[in-house]
Amino acid sequence: MTARTFRLAAYGLAALTLGLWMVDIVRQLQLGVADFALSFYAVAGVAAVVVAVAVARQAGRERMAVLIAVWLVISVLDDLPVDWPVSRTAATVWMLAHGLAPAAYGLMVLAYPSGRLRAPGARLLVALAAFVGLVWMGAPLLFFRPGSCSACAPRVSSLFYTGRTFDYLAVGQASWTAFIVIGVFFVALLVRRLRAAPRGARVTLLPLGLAVFFTAAEFVAQRVVWLGGWQSPGTALDWIDRLNALVLPLAIFVGLAAIRRRRGPLGDLVVELDQAHPGEVGRALARTLGDPTLQLALWLPERGAFVDEAGVPVDTSAIPEGRAVTTIGPRGDPLAALVHDERLLGQRSLLEAAGSAARLALENTRLQAELLAQLAELRASRARIVGAADAERRRLERDLHDGAQQRLLALGLALQLLRDGNGDPELLAQAEAELQTALRELRDLARGIHPTILSEQGLGPAVRSLGDRAPVPVQVEAVDERYPASVETTAYFVIAEALANISKHSQARSAVVSFGRQNGKLVVDVADDGRGGAVARPGGGLQGLSDRVAAAGGTLTIASDSDAGTVLHAEVPCDS
Amino acid sequence: MRVLVVDDSPSFRGLAKQLLARAGFAVVGEAVDAGTALRETERLRPDALLLDIVLPDRSGLDVAQELARWRNRPRVVLTSSRGRSDFGDSFEWPPGCSFLPKHELTVARLRDALRPQ
Repeated sequence: MTARTFRLAAYGLAALTLGLWMVDIVRQLQLGVADFALSFYAVAGVAAVVVAVAVARQAGRERMAVLIAVWLVISVLDDLPVDWPVSRTAATVWMLAHGLAPAAYGLMVLAYPSGRLRAPGARLLVALAAFVGLVWMGAPLLFFRPGSCSACAPRVSSLFYTGRTFDYLAVGQASWTAFIVIGVFFVALLVRRLRAAPRGARVTLLPLGLAVFFTAAEFVAQRVVWLGGWQSPGTALDWIDRLNALVLPLAIFVGLAAIRRRRGPLGDLVVELDQAHPGEVGRALARTLGDPTLQLALWLPERGAFVDEAGVPVDTSAIPEGRAVTTIGPRGDPLAALVHDERLLGQRSLLEAAGSAARLALENTRLQAELLAQLAELRASRARIVGAADAERRRLERDLHDGAQQRLLALGLALQLLRDGNGDPELLAQAEAELQTALRELRDLARGIHPTILSEQGLGPAVRSLGDRAPVPVQVEAVDERYPASVETTAYFVIAEALANISKHSQARSAVVSFGRQNGKLVVDVADDGRGGAVARPGGGLQGLSDRVAAAGGTLTIASDSDAGTVLHAEVPCDS
Repeated sequence: MRVLVVDDSPSFRGLAKQLLARAGFAVVGEAVDAGTALRETERLRPDALLLDIVLPDRSGLDVAQELARWRNRPRVVLTSSRGRSDFGDSFEWPPGCSFLPKHELTVARLRDALRPQ
């Protein structure tokens, strides 16, 4: 069961308590037994429920809140149908609640503050209290007949009534004795805990200790008054009894608050991060630091960029007015950055401590963000590759249409004119020129789709042929060697595009192409002495090349400072 | 009949002129794009246009649409290196236009398309 489930359970039980309380108050008003104590009782009840909810809202205290709420439900049920005249169900519920109330009380107190019953002695005590409670109330559940006892409530039998009679007075007395023994051990356990606690922790146990003392004192006083048969202090004690419902949850809340104060906001963060899923770390930090606008950016060293928890890039360089950035992790190799309200800078030590506390969680989150970012990049590049393929087909169609097809149409027209007329030598020459041009354009186009020389003779000769046709002198430095066809094609188009860019944009006087095998990779460099400043723009040729190289499992980098020429560097794996 | 030839390829214009001359039409002018075509039509008032669809500035179809609004509009024969099937049966040609793919341009076809109705 998760913390969330426990929290929701606590809310549900708190709501149930409130509902039952309302029913009880309405019943008392209807029966005309409502007195001044009732208003006091209502306020205490609502306050107790509020306290239970407040505890449930604290990270890591959900179990504790459930135990408080269970005790509240049992307490209110215990109080509910004492003099309810008719309902056998109500009588049954009351008897069960009455029997289990001491166990629920013990469980709540002994499980403080974690909400778990860890010590074997405490477990045994709670189990014994539940057992004795069930025996104690088991007798009236089975054998109670209305009218058999004028002093005792309720006025009807339980649903489990057997119809037989049994004088269970002895059972009741034995149970009481057992409860008193359990109670003594219970108090002893608490005192030992209080004494064993380090001085710093004692303050967190003290409120509950006082509350238990209050309950015990009130219980003893009740007994004394009851045994003595006095009337007037009894009413006052009833009032005090009602206070119990508030005093205990309040004591637990105050104790928990003391724990929180002692461990500070960072303690909360640690507890919260322990339960947080990746993707919630930013929110936990925002809560701890008290800045709801805080944004977590994780550094991905491989791409040299910050991304959020969903892997979407975050620009930490453009920070608006009033915001500030705090990096987490060593300078030069950051783990993450917090973009936050600049007023938090006054608490720099808290910021840094929170960053350190969140380190492990941040590392996990970073891994996940990296995965998400990779996935997004993969999707985007796939879309770009499909888009580039479409654009390429459109370009081919246009090239064919504007080029060879026009030439051949003109050739057709010229032939028609020649057939119908005399053999005009000028027309004949034009027809031949159209045919030659068409052939050349088709050759160029075919080479653009896939150069024959590449598949026939390999990368070296193909690149030299590219260099021969380039408008600037190109020096090719390479050993002639064959690579897998897909590797050769990728490298060829990288070089072809680079040379095309050089002749179009760079104003270079010369270029050098070199490639060769290094550590299972074909490494390609194309350098020029032009004006530089080349960048891969979305939708541009370099971006397309980059995608193409990435699709082959390689990488493409561009170094292009202004006035220092451009070096295009590509590495394509070729395991053979 | 006086014809204006509109096409951005000089070699096509040259050949079309010869073809039209063979078919008995007088080529009174040439235009390389849509803007020039409209200006030359205004100035020369030809009886017909042989109008390429793909032009550098605007589509030949735009030119035909514009001419369809004129009074005393010239006849328009649209032409293209694309075939009829590229446009499909449901393609809406501008009113009063006929279409003759470039690969079907012959003396006989030109006469058919430009014959006064």
